[in-house]
Amino acid sequence: MNFETMISQMTGGMTETIGIFAWTLVFSLPFGLLIAFGRMSKYKWLSTIVKLYISIMRGTPLMLQLLVVFFGPYYLFRISMGGSWRFISIIIGFTLNYGAYFAEIFRSGIESMPIGQYEAAKLLGYSRIQTFFMIIFPQVIKRILPAMANEIITLVKDTSLAFSIAYMEMFTIAKQIAAANTTFVPFVIAAVFYYVFNLLVAGVIGLMEKKLNYYH
Amino acid sequence: MYYLEINHLRKSFGDLEVLSDISLTLEQGKVLAIIGPSGSGKSTLLRCATYLERMDGGDLTYLGEKAVNMDEKGNSVYAKPAKLKEIQQNFGLVFQNFNLFPHFSVIKNIMHPLIKVQKKSKEEAKEIARKLLEKMGLSEKENSYPYQLSGGQQQRVSIARALALNPKVLFFDEPTSALDPELTGEILKVIRELASEHMTMVIVTHEMNFAKNVADYVIFMDKGVIVEEGSPDQIFTSDNPRTKEFLGKFD
Amino acid sequence: MCVAVVGAMIPMGVLAEERTTFRVGFDAEYPPYGYMDENGEYVGFDLDLAQAVCDLQGWELVKVPINWDSKDMELNSGSIDCIWSGFTINGREDDYTWSVPYVDNSQVVVVSKASGIETLEDLSGKRVGVQAASAALQVLQDEEQQKDLADTFATLQEFGDYNSAFVELQAGSIDAIAMDVGVANYQLTNRDNGDDFMVLEESLNSEQYGIGFRLGDTELCDQVNAALEQLVEDGTVAELAEKYDLSDMVCLDEQFGEATTAEAAE
Repeated sequence: MNFETMISQMTGGMTETIGIFAWTLVFSLPFGLLIAFGRMSKYKWLSTIVKLYISIMRGTPLMLQLLVVFFGPYYLFRISMGGSWRFISIIIGFTLNYGAYFAEIFRSGIESMPIGQYEAAKLLGYSRIQTFFMIIFPQVIKRILPAMANEIITLVKDTSLAFSIAYMEMFTIAKQIAAANTTFVPFVIAAVFYYVFNLLVAGVIGLMEKKLNYYH
Repeated sequence: MYYLEINHLRKSFGDLEVLSDISLTLEQGKVLAIIGPSGSGKSTLLRCATYLERMDGGDLTYLGEKAVNMDEKGNSVYAKPAKLKEIQQNFGLVFQNFNLFPHFSVIKNIMHPLIKVQKKSKEEAKEIARKLLEKMGLSEKENSYPYQLSGGQQQRVSIARALALNPKVLFFDEPTSALDPELTGEILKVIRELASEHMTMVIVTHEMNFAKNVADYVIFMDKGVIVEEGSPDQIFTSDNPRTKEFLGKFD
Repeated sequence: MCVAVVGAMIPMGVLAEERTTFRVGFDAEYPPYGYMDENGEYVGFDLDLAQAVCDLQGWELVKVPINWDSKDMELNSGSIDCIWSGFTINGREDDYTWSVPYVDNSQVVVVSKASGIETLEDLSGKRVGVQAASAALQVLQDEEQQKDLADTFATLQEFGDYNSAFVELQAGSIDAIAMDVGVANYQLTNRDNGDDFMVLEESLNSEQYGIGFRLGDTELCDQVNAALEQLVEDGTVAELAEKYDLSDMVCLDEQFGEATTAEAAE
């Protein structure tokens, strides 16, 4: 098999990889924020449950979590899931896992905000929701961007874990091409792809950091 | 009708009572200075009056509207949130640390609450903000960000921000304590101007000369109680040994 | 996404009433039985044969590449109808409802020609690689089969894929690899340096491949068996065996041998 054929075969997988990456971000960022609120809740029972959740998500392998989500419906409820479930379960699995990591980043960012910002907003008459989304959160984003960048770059590489439930993302296809053609070339292509993908991600985050540099 | 009235205010942090039985009144256009050593409870008093701390006992009234009532045991009973919010429009607070929003430009710091809280149009908000910045001598800084300003300039922006909402009573919590000594003058000048315009103000301060010259009424607090109160003349020539000892440190 | 979730939750059991699809689970890294070809299509002896079965039965073939480690979960959860992927019956007789055996396979040992290893005995004190969760590993761990032999090895090293194993073999970090004979032939034919290696004449065992269905799913198993018999008769099986260089190993005609002979006698 020549190089061009390999590339063209892997292109479909790259689209899937980007899909996993993008959908995971779309769902796990808001979900992470929600989890962070739960973690900081004044209701002890809620924050305890969320704390346990985060600890489980961070303390067990993502690969195992993907297997649990994908096969869970059958083993728990005896429901057999249809065709699109393979993809949906990957997005759910990644979202549950990355949501936990993002939640901790959000939390550390939110908790690092000086209380004076809340007090000033309160005195000026902002509602709690306004205070959070207009005053606190924009500043939190600037504070957590470096930590977020690390996590997002890890996510790019973690998409390859979808192979554990045989989802045809780029790395799974690379392995198959490698096996059929007794060659390592697909892995080299995969490495280049991940590297370029991450360069782009780092570039975008760098732009965001630059854009937020207008204040200290 | 008093603009501000507090009766029998009590406040404890855990077992420590930081305010016991504080009562005060303030008429329209008057300036009240609260002085006293650190830990005397004067900042806590201000924070109770501005809802930042919850009162344990006593009541709180602005312009005849009860924000906090007292039950028969003297414990505080807060009004409903909507009522509290309505009453809150009567007062503003200038913080020791300014607490400007760093991600907003100077003018946006002032305009944003006008637009988002008071639902004023952008044009109207801008007009108000510009007028106040001019008054504060900061017209050229409207597009700067707080980090680009000196402490004195930041404090003037925060005063403008509070004034923009048109409060009936304006509180100052040690407004010059975070500033270098050479910058305190510009803030005191602004407050003096406001006093001459008959702004009703409560000022917690360590600037004794300022309190003496600007205030209509002075309260001296120590260990959570009002030790002595009266006109500046009365307080600054007091025979009360605790007042004398405290004031003596500033000579 | 919600719509998709609901759509995905239709129980597969409903479809079983009137079968329209046939979902084959396979390891896409297992040439020549199942792999990705030049066009990005999944092909191989097993998949082509499955296609022929579906053509006969009027089913739509759905090729589901699976992670080999999760094959039982895939089968039990209903995301696939069978495992058809060079799947060794021996040692797993009671775990699945098996089709008729269709390939006579053996587990063999591949060594570097230069190593001087010629018999299984020579492997004593050597480092031997074997794919994780593979039939070859099972043979080497089974006391009734080749555990005694495996005990003479210096180490028995498990690996994930054959590419890595062959690189290790070439580099000398392992001395031999145990694997299916069909896989061994494919690897030695298709590797650039395939001539450097050889298959030991002595094999570890002989075994058979079958199609694994969910335990008790005899109805589907019977349907597939019947189709296979027809495909033997019309020569499709022989054709496919030749195409994938497996003529020596495919044993379906023996399975249905009596029937064919009987018909011929009439």
